[in-house]
Parts: sequence; structure tokens; C-alpha cells
Amino acid sequence: MHRRARVLFLFVAAVSLFEVLPSLAQGQTASEEGLAIIVNQSNPVENLSSAELRKVFLGEKSHWTNGRRITLVMMDPGPERKTMLRDIYHMNENDLSNHFIHGLFTGEVFVSPKTLATPVEVRKFVFNVPGAIGYVRAADADSSVKVVRIDGRLPDDKEYKLRVQRSGK
Amino acid sequence: MKLRKFLTVKILLAPELRITAMPMVSLLIVILASAGALSAQPAADPPHPDQQTIQTLMERIDRLEARVAQLEGAKRPATTETTAQAPSPPEPMPATVEPERMDLSKTLLHIRGFGDVTYHGDNRKGDTTSFSLGQLNLFVTSDVSEKFRFLSEIVFEAGPDNAVGVDVERLLLQYSPNDYFNLSAGRYHTAIGYYNTAYHHSTWLQTATGRPLLFEFEDKGGILPIHNVGVSATGLIPSGSLGLHYVAEVGNGRASSSARAEAVQNLVDENNLKAFNLALFVRPEKIRGLQVGFSGYRDVLTPLNQSRIGETILDAYGVIVRPNFEWLNEALVIRHAPEGLSRVFQTPGFYSQVSKRFGSYRPYFRYQYVNAPDHEPIFGPVYNAPVGLRHGPSAGLRYDASESVAVKLQYDYTLLRNQQAISGLALQLGFTF
Repeated sequence: MHRRARVLFLFVAAVSLFEVLPSLAQGQTASEEGLAIIVNQSNPVENLSSAELRKVFLGEKSHWTNGRRITLVMMDPGPERKTMLRDIYHMNENDLSNHFIHGLFTGEVFVSPKTLATPVEVRKFVFNVPGAIGYVRAADADSSVKVVRIDGRLPDDKEYKLRVQRSGK
Repeated sequence: MKLRKFLTVKILLAPELRITAMPMVSLLIVILASAGALSAQPAADPPHPDQQTIQTLMERIDRLEARVAQLEGAKRPATTETTAQAPSPPEPMPATVEPERMDLSKTLLHIRGFGDVTYHGDNRKGDTTSFSLGQLNLFVTSDVSEKFRFLSEIVFEAGPDNAVGVDVERLLLQYSPNDYFNLSAGRYHTAIGYYNTAYHHSTWLQTATGRPLLFEFEDKGGILPIHNVGVSATGLIPSGSLGLHYVAEVGNGRASSSARAEAVQNLVDENNLKAFNLALFVRPEKIRGLQVGFSGYRDVLTPLNQSRIGETILDAYGVIVRPNFEWLNEALVIRHAPEGLSRVFQTPGFYSQVSKRFGSYRPYFRYQYVNAPDHEPIFGPVYNAPVGLRHGPSAGLRYDASESVAVKLQYDYTLLRNQQAISGLALQLGFTF
């Protein structure tokens, strides 16, 4: 019985290792246009690491350094949201929904994200709410909001990670 | 006169000149004065002077318009640039999208519901196969202000007598000034280990049909103080990528005076001794979904006609939880030490649960073990909980029929000391709404 249990435990441990290893060596996906992470102009944050950005968008980090509560702004399903799900959340729509239901249920997530339809709405929301953070195509960002560096890079930089397929407009 | 009229109309139709009143008024005075002076020109002027004058005035208006725009731009550089790039500059949003202000004219409540129905049966003597209504759980939250939040779970549930009762399973006001310190007051799930804080009163959120034996609710024969009334502090400890967190709680603890007492001391504590709990856990950035932690709980129980009993609960766990894969491992020991006796009653227990998702299907397996001493002074006499050894595997399949509905089929095989093993089968429909 003990021997069987040990074998079973080792088998599960091996499966876990296969699950864990890929996250230690993430690949980079190539696309055509940068996806800008934008915050309110009054927000002191200038740069976020990818890990910090993930924590912010998962709701695991709830406050900015200036004490403002973080308000997440997502866009309706589309290429921009797809990029966020793929590169930041590593989840699909259902998983994201479950994550926030579970987070709100345990009390770890303070507020679920607000979803808006267009980049103009996202920009306006971020412009108006001091603790807001959202994302738009780099071309849709303007000086009414602040574009945050991710791992020290801006959307125009070649090594910038968050890429979205260029729209046909 | 015609010229004056023309110029007035021209100015009134220029929308950009309506933005600021003062430059407009000055401009209007200048233009009207010029027009008045022009209309008073002697008849000796060259023929058709209007065309030339109009041209001159138009150029002057253009220059003045440009100057007004320049001055306004100097005052509001951000909005000017926005205008240049996008036709609609950011405007103040209506109050409804400002999440950080309390609008007294609207409710602040958010309600989500959970429920389940189960068909189950087993080979235990006296048990019957039954359809069972699970808990109807209304999870109510309210974003009171930027730093305060209300959270509650109101559960409607049928008891063994088939009568439905209502319980406020959680009721918390949370104060959250920053990531390092969050304070909650009210009724909460004691942060003993992992499962009790990760899963509450919803089967839909859980992979399996029910909680592990160790973490059964008090009114279902559970041996832990699952709920507590008091205050709880949680937060992040600066530790870089290690992701170290703490939980510190002080509350009334679980009632222990008699078997009739309500387990959770919602209103009155039966003694002045409080229960303390401290938990630490890490969530390393490098390994997504990994959480490792431990907790220590301490209380003094005061059963009637018995000496006080010191209660210590130590728990350690390591879990990996990802959307497609889950592996939960948790072990704990409950130690009851009656005052004046040299004997200490120790109840060890653990569970391990693994599941992997394949599309909408998620097969899972759990093995669990609890071994309470036969003469345990609290579990049997006070908690009405089973004692002795209980252990065995559970295997099941979860099928997510939609993003809100899950169907689970689970087989349990539980070995008992000196008793016949129990085989049980359950089919559960769990949902959120």
C-alpha cells in the first residue's frame, strides 16, 4: 500500500513538473503593433515589470504606491483583450471570469475589472479615474493618459513584449 | 450694416470661438468697432470697398482666431493635443463610472448566487439514496468607498429534518489602505491552512463534490473551527519575488461548553479567552500558481464539567493551482491538552488532490486521511463528530457544461477502523448565477 502510494505521489510530482517547467522559460510572440498600458497622468508609476503587471491585472496588487486603489479597465473581446489574456493572464475568457469570481469570493480581489467597448472610452476612463489602469493600441494612446514602460520598454521599442495584430484601419 | 451683420453671423457660427467668453467678447468689440468705423467712411472712397475690407477683416479674424487657440492651448496642453489626434477629447465622466465615490441614489450591492443539487447514495446502514438540495448561497459585496468594502455570504440550507434554515456564513467589513495591511472585522473563515480560505460555501468553485473530511463545516461533523467571529489582518510582507504574505486573526473561537451550543459564537463568547491564528505563505513569482504556507491556531476550550483544554492546530501545505492543473497537498495536526492530565490527544490528518483539465472535462482524484483518538475529549462528546480512523480515495469527473454550470460524478471509498468500509456515489449539478 505504502509502495503504491509512493509511486502514485512520484507520478503526480512528475506531472506537476511538466506543468511548471514551461512557465520558467516563456517564449516571446511576434506581432505588429504595441499594446500600450496606460494609467492616469497623476499616477507616479513609470515602469512595471511583467510580473508586477500580471499581479496588477490579476487583482493581486490592489494599491498604487501613492495609496490609490487600483481600478482595472478591460476592453470587450477583441485583439487587444486577446493579447492581454495570452501574454499577461495566461488564461482564456472562462478562466479569467472564474479567477475574478474566486478572488472576489475569497476576498483577495477587491474589485472586478470594468469592461469598456472602445479605446476612446478606456482612455476617458483612465483620464478621469486616478487609480485606473487599462490598455489600448499604442496609436490610440495620447497625452491625456500616461503610457507605462513594461520591463523598461515602451510600445515602440522592438523588444516590447505586448503586441497586437495591427487593425485594418 | 450688411457687413456688420455678416461678421456677426460669421463669428456666431464659429464653434471654436464659443469656448471661452472673454476673448470672444474682446474680439467681438474689436470687430464691431472696426465695422462701425468702416460704415462711417466718406463717399470719396474707391468703388466697391467692401470686398477689400472684408478680405482685410477676414485675415484679421483668422489671426485673432489663431491667437485665441494658441492662448487656450497654453492653458490646457493635454486636451489640445488630444483634439489634434482624436476628434473627441476626454470629457469628465458621469458619476456612474467613478467607482471610488459613493452615489447615495444607487444601491452599492453586487450579488452573485451559487447553488447545487446532488443525487447520492452509499452502502452505510440506514442511509438512503436521496436528491439533496445543496446550499443556496447569496454572495453579497458592496464597494463602500475607496478603502472600505463589505462582503457577506447568506446561505439557505436544508438540515437533516428537511427544514430550510438561513445562516450568515460570512459577514465582513474590510478596510484596505494598502497592500501591506488589510483589516477585516466580522465573521470569517479561519485561515487554517489552504482549503478553508480558498473555498467557502460554493461547490461550483470546488473541483470535487464536497470539501475534504478535515475541512467539513461544523454543522456537518467537522472537527475544525471553520468559522470565527473577530478581526483579521492580512497583507504582503516586502519580500521581492518570493511573495510572502501574512494573516493574523483574533476571535471568539469555537464553542465548546456543550454539544447543544451553536458552534460559531456569533454574539456571545462563552469565556474571556480568545482564539489566535497566525498564517504565513509564499507565492513565488517564478512558479505560477504555487503557494506554500503554514498556520498555527491556539485556543483554550472550556467544556462543562471538565477541566480546560488547550487546543493547538498546526497546518502546512503546498499547492499548485492553475486553470488546467491543480495539485493540493495539506497536512495538519489538532492537539488537545486537558489541564491537569499528562495525556495529549493528537489528531493528524491530510489530503492530497490532483486534477487536470481536458477541454470541458476535468478528472480528479483525492486521497484523504483523518485519525482521531477514540477517547478524544472534544470531537465526540462536544462536536458530535466521528472519531477513529477514516481514510480512503475519491475519484471523479467534472464536466463544465457552460461557464456557469458544472456536472460532477464522484465515487468515494472510505475505510473506517473496526467498521465496514463505505462506498458512495454522488452526481452533482453545481452552478453560479
